[in-house]
Amino acid sequence: MNRHGMTRRKFLVASAAGGAALAASPYLGFDAWAASEKASGEVKVTPTLCDACGNWCALRVYTKGDRVWKAEGIPIAGNNLGRVCAKGHAMLHEVYNPDRIKSPLKRVGPNKFEPISWQQAYKEIGAKLGQIKEKHGAESIFWLQYPEGNADVTFRFMNALGSPNVFSHGATCFLPRNIGWWLTVGNSKPEHDFANSRFILLIGRNLAAGLNLRKLQDVVKGRESGAKVVVVDPRFSESASIAKQWIRIRPGTDLALMLAVAHVMIDESLYQKEFVEKYTEGFEEFAEEVRKFPPSWAEEKTTVPKETIVTLAREMAKAAPRAVIHRGYHAAAGTQYKNSLQLVRAIACVNGLLGNYNQLGGLYPAPKVKLGKPDPNQYPAPPPVKGPMVDGSGDPERYPLTPKGVGISHAIPELAIQGKLKAGFVHHNNPLRTCPNPARVIEGYKKLDLLVSFDYVLSETATLAHYILPESYYLERDDVVHANHAYSSQQVAIRQQVVKPLYDTKPLVQILIELAQHLGIGQYFTFTLEDWNRAALKPLGVSLEQLKKEGVIDLGGQWQPGEPHFDTPSGKLEFVSSTLKDLELPAVPTWEEPLVSPDPKDPHSFRLIHGKQAHHTHARTANQPYLMKITTDQDWGRAWIHPDRAKKLEIKDGDCMTLTSSVGSGRMRARVTDGIHPDCIFLPSGYGIFSRNLTYAKKKGQGGFGYGVSYNDFLPTMFDPVLGHAMANEVIVKVTKTYT
Amino acid sequence: MPRYGIAIDTTKCIGCHACKVACQNHNGLEYDQKFNTIYQVDRGKYPSFSKEFVPAQCNHCENAPCERVCPTGAIYTSPEGVVLVHRNRCVGCKYCIEACPYKVRLIDHHEGISVKCWFCIDLVRQGGEPACVTTCPTQVRIFGDLDDPDSRVSRFIAENRAQPLRPDLGTKPKIFYKRS
Repeated sequence: MNRHGMTRRKFLVASAAGGAALAASPYLGFDAWAASEKASGEVKVTPTLCDACGNWCALRVYTKGDRVWKAEGIPIAGNNLGRVCAKGHAMLHEVYNPDRIKSPLKRVGPNKFEPISWQQAYKEIGAKLGQIKEKHGAESIFWLQYPEGNADVTFRFMNALGSPNVFSHGATCFLPRNIGWWLTVGNSKPEHDFANSRFILLIGRNLAAGLNLRKLQDVVKGRESGAKVVVVDPRFSESASIAKQWIRIRPGTDLALMLAVAHVMIDESLYQKEFVEKYTEGFEEFAEEVRKFPPSWAEEKTTVPKETIVTLAREMAKAAPRAVIHRGYHAAAGTQYKNSLQLVRAIACVNGLLGNYNQLGGLYPAPKVKLGKPDPNQYPAPPPVKGPMVDGSGDPERYPLTPKGVGISHAIPELAIQGKLKAGFVHHNNPLRTCPNPARVIEGYKKLDLLVSFDYVLSETATLAHYILPESYYLERDDVVHANHAYSSQQVAIRQQVVKPLYDTKPLVQILIELAQHLGIGQYFTFTLEDWNRAALKPLGVSLEQLKKEGVIDLGGQWQPGEPHFDTPSGKLEFVSSTLKDLELPAVPTWEEPLVSPDPKDPHSFRLIHGKQAHHTHARTANQPYLMKITTDQDWGRAWIHPDRAKKLEIKDGDCMTLTSSVGSGRMRARVTDGIHPDCIFLPSGYGIFSRNLTYAKKKGQGGFGYGVSYNDFLPTMFDPVLGHAMANEVIVKVTKTYT
Repeated sequence: MPRYGIAIDTTKCIGCHACKVACQNHNGLEYDQKFNTIYQVDRGKYPSFSKEFVPAQCNHCENAPCERVCPTGAIYTSPEGVVLVHRNRCVGCKYCIEACPYKVRLIDHHEGISVKCWFCIDLVRQGGEPACVTTCPTQVRIFGDLDDPDSRVSRFIAENRAQPLRPDLGTKPKIFYKRS
């Protein structure tokens, strides 16, 4: 409890004294503590960027003395508009997580680690990597990350080493979404002006649990000014609870719905004709194709009544151009299905029929900030590495559309088994838990001659690493200047140190600068993090000091509706994708069956789907007692099953079930609910952490290690033929009641 | 003197629990002690299936059952209408916990006294709002003066005919709900 000289009692004192005006007030316990005990230090407020998920919300973190206390949002920050979620609050406590790594570690046996000095670690990694590079070439080295602010430095590092193999988590998350939009409108992430929309369709996206605080607020604003919000989802998602209508769809068939909606809009001549004529390419061909997919056909595929589909299309068209379909994320429009790319294309095309691009209440290209780079004369940069990645990303013969720098992260274990990858760096990523088929992933990562992790706890992946160079927790470090998440205007923000590092840890950029000296690439790392950040800010006319004081600075450039521009080969919105045509792939959105489907005759056969909860991020938060307590209080670790299906299997609410797929089996309790399509079982993601070194929540009796299962436990290693993504919902499980 | 209250719009609540943890942090509570909670109500069958998240915390009742049963007089109402506990008088007998129909009271692990939501009166008196209000991503809660008919909270309650939980109990809560 008291690891850092701060009892909870003193902390309470600290909190109460935050309200200085109350010091003498006799009302509640807190005040009395403040009066009776000496406060432990001054309240200080430091702006920084949250690291509880990938949104990087801007926070003002309050400290009392040297202790982190609480956080508030920064109102001007475009990505959270002053709001903070449960994760943002709870992950503040993670800095005091007793499971943290306290110094560089070297693995000396299975799950046996020895603290070593930074110098020894650098030296040994340098020697080992030198041998690997000499024997197998630089292409046998990879970097896997969650690409964020520091990514520019990691690309520089890998370029310097001479390897093209920089992976992100994209192939298990968003890949088809980005490619589909890029193919259709030339922008892989168009933004949404929800606040001004009159009709908002969320399909393949649950904003209220895969939280995006900005967009969620915009949807609510839109709703308050009269927008109809409709959610299409196999389950009654958290977004559905704030929507006007929930359309329950058979999982994997969202594409059929979109095609039928397009069919109705064109058939009934409801689309925005002027927009289509002026700004789109290939309409005739698209119209011809969707003629094959009337609502009656879609009803059979989706189980959505054809009347519902017709009404949806008419209502949306009526609100156009102030009607918008969300661009999608990890769900159906993400890496879940074989037809995900087609779905994204279809969503983009129906948005085209609505004529909403760069219009009020529609889609728009987010204003970009161009950050500066360190002067190459003073700080020479390595040349970029040409050629495709080892997994075939960027290779015209294999995965021509999968970008370098994203790659196919769940191919890494396969490539290691094939001997094509020998050494790797894993930063802010945990492939052993977040990639499909963990047994295979473990086998693959064990084959590596050198695995270096930068984790702050001994996660599943870090436990396999040969060396761990612990990065300081986000509250303890400065990061590279950040300008990615402003949405409707140009903003620049910075993550900075709130408290001094508790242990012998360093910021990633610092680690790379020091490590580079031992890898023979020191000439490219002569800068400091401060040099880098000053160079980044130079073109913006913002000083580092000013940015650190304010946390976020708005540079103006607010988006305004106007003439649409498309960075596609034709310069138009492409109903017929010229790029796909060149690659001899289906160039017009068309129906594609999901890869697998449950057996309708077998009462045990279900599709396994998954999704986020608002209080968990990936596999990172299941060891945080404040967050796990929410799960255990609400009993939200359960898997959802439809009452009719459950009845046939004699499963009652709360009963234990066993799920078995071709690669794995696991047990969980049932949540019998009408809020799910009968074809599928829904498993909340974020649980099933299996590193025995993550004990914090478990010691508090709140799950953590050993709590629940992950959908990855059931998922075979699969690669979509076009993009290579994981197709994470293309898995059939057998469900049986567990009698114990 | 204002008389503080909250209007809660459950049609906006997504059950994210930001309010719960923001409150825990501001008030220095451990992971297993909470001043606010969220109930989930499932209704109906598809296609009319719906789900409602209902946030709940101390209602700061005008006619507070907890205040009436407290044998040491530790529970009282502040000039702003906030029900508070006097730490030095509370003996931790838990009568108030039994008496509270909303089950929003708890015994503090360390001090052994009864604690609960106090409308973050420390922040409010400095011109701020309770932590649960300011953190909410969908702005479910509106905080303000119930005695001022022009305050946002009063107008919201009037426009939506917001009702307290279990008005039949006669506790006269100061938290009003717009329910779906």
